[in-house]
Amino acid sequence: MSLAISQTTLKRANRWKLVGLLTLLLTSFVVLMAVENLLVSALLAFVISYTLGPLVNYLERQGVSRTLATTVVFAGGAGVIGLIGVWLAPYLGETISRLQADTPRYISGLGAFISEMEIKVHSIAGPLSNFDLTSRVESQLTSWTHDFFEKLPGFVKTFFTVMLLGPFLAFFMVKDGRNLVRTVMGLAPNDLFETALSLQHQINFQIGQFVRARILESLIVGLVTAFGLFMISFPYPLLLGMFAGLMNLIPYLGPIFGAVPAFLIALVNGYSGLEVTALAMVYIVAQLIDAGFLIPLLVAKIVDLHPVTVILVIIAGAQLMGVLGMIISIPVAGTLKVTISTIYRHLIDTRA
Amino acid sequence: MINFMWDNLFRKSDEQQEVAEALRQTFVFQPLSRKELGFVQDTVHVRVFKPGEVIFRQGEIGVGMYIILRGALDIYIDHAMEEDVPPRAHMVTRLRAGDFLGELSLVENNSRRTATAIAAEESLLIGFFKPDLFEILERQPATGVKILLRLSEVLGRRLKETTMKVTELKEEIRRMNEKV
Repeated sequence: MSLAISQTTLKRANRWKLVGLLTLLLTSFVVLMAVENLLVSALLAFVISYTLGPLVNYLERQGVSRTLATTVVFAGGAGVIGLIGVWLAPYLGETISRLQADTPRYISGLGAFISEMEIKVHSIAGPLSNFDLTSRVESQLTSWTHDFFEKLPGFVKTFFTVMLLGPFLAFFMVKDGRNLVRTVMGLAPNDLFETALSLQHQINFQIGQFVRARILESLIVGLVTAFGLFMISFPYPLLLGMFAGLMNLIPYLGPIFGAVPAFLIALVNGYSGLEVTALAMVYIVAQLIDAGFLIPLLVAKIVDLHPVTVILVIIAGAQLMGVLGMIISIPVAGTLKVTISTIYRHLIDTRA
Repeated sequence: MINFMWDNLFRKSDEQQEVAEALRQTFVFQPLSRKELGFVQDTVHVRVFKPGEVIFRQGEIGVGMYIILRGALDIYIDHAMEEDVPPRAHMVTRLRAGDFLGELSLVENNSRRTATAIAAEESLLIGFFKPDLFEILERQPATGVKILLRLSEVLGRRLKETTMKVTELKEEIRRMNEKV
């Protein structure tokens, strides 16, 4: 023990190691935020790697090497998506061009609906002002739609960049992710190493469970909605089903957002009360299946956040990053909760 | 420069050889094949501890075991369960290269360390923790089961030793009572 280094020197060395590790993590975060499309691609890569990781592990358990297992699973995934794409492309293309052709009609229909409402309001309350709501809404909607179709090529370019970069990053995350994490963990100071490793394992497990559960939940809600819309012969069932499934990722508010386009279409087309009831039933049944079976079986207790916290977190996410922020806000909040509670438990335990 | 890189490359490779050999000789990993040992080697963590540096403290939650690759560790037990080691705690043993410690933490939930381990000299340790065991069980269950069986054997042996000590102590108390 005579050669023992003083505790102050050890503490200082450990502090410097911690600073180095935090600097590395912070730099990675800055690069992720600064490089165009990298954040969204990385998020997509995480989602893909959490979804396909268990399949790769399954193949590895059968004696296949990790590289081969990852290649087979990704090639299989690309094949399946390619086939679905080939099968759906003509239908989606036709739907989008029909939607583009129908949009002016929907806008004028919506304008007519608003002016009808305006007349009703005026007949009750009298002409309060000369404010022409109809033409304002109509011109705003026309400019938004024009902008949307104008910017569509840009969106498509970003979409393809993310769709190429995301799976590319995901491939290496699944194949070598554990080695990368091990290397980064190797930089942690000795006094924090066990805690950091345990924390990383818990967070990884929690996010993995959450991502897989939410994807499955969205897929089922989207399919049920699309099937229901198809059964009542509502236009664009697949597109609206996909939208409902995607929006379902946003807790509480998502299902409402997901149903809005279908009700707008029904409103503009002047659907009868019976048809609107059938439409409402489709969305209600999808949500009942979600709330009654999917959430209790798949999602509940994975990220156990209070409903008020969920709403506040979603609002914060929307303020910071829009729709993407709303979708990722809950996993991020869940991760923070696990991180803070684990650190807190560690502090309590080590001082008990 | 090239010489430096060349030396470093071989030093790294030497260390890997050393880790592989240490794992092969550790009781918990003894039944594993060369391929399985390679997989375990890719999972474990090699950590350097300076003389006087604490590996873990008594009462802390532990998540795994350490195998001594190089160096030596002093093990202290503080019966008063206080933090100010070493003055109050007394040293019970010195562990050397090839020995392993903390294996109970691999299987027990929220396992608290029963002693404090401090590096007696600059030590190179192989850390094998719960997340590593879970990873092995998830990716190569057959390897994981072999490790778990060996761990059970170690724990069973420890339990047997403890039971024998308790029996001896009871016998001694009985003899003392008879004398009184």
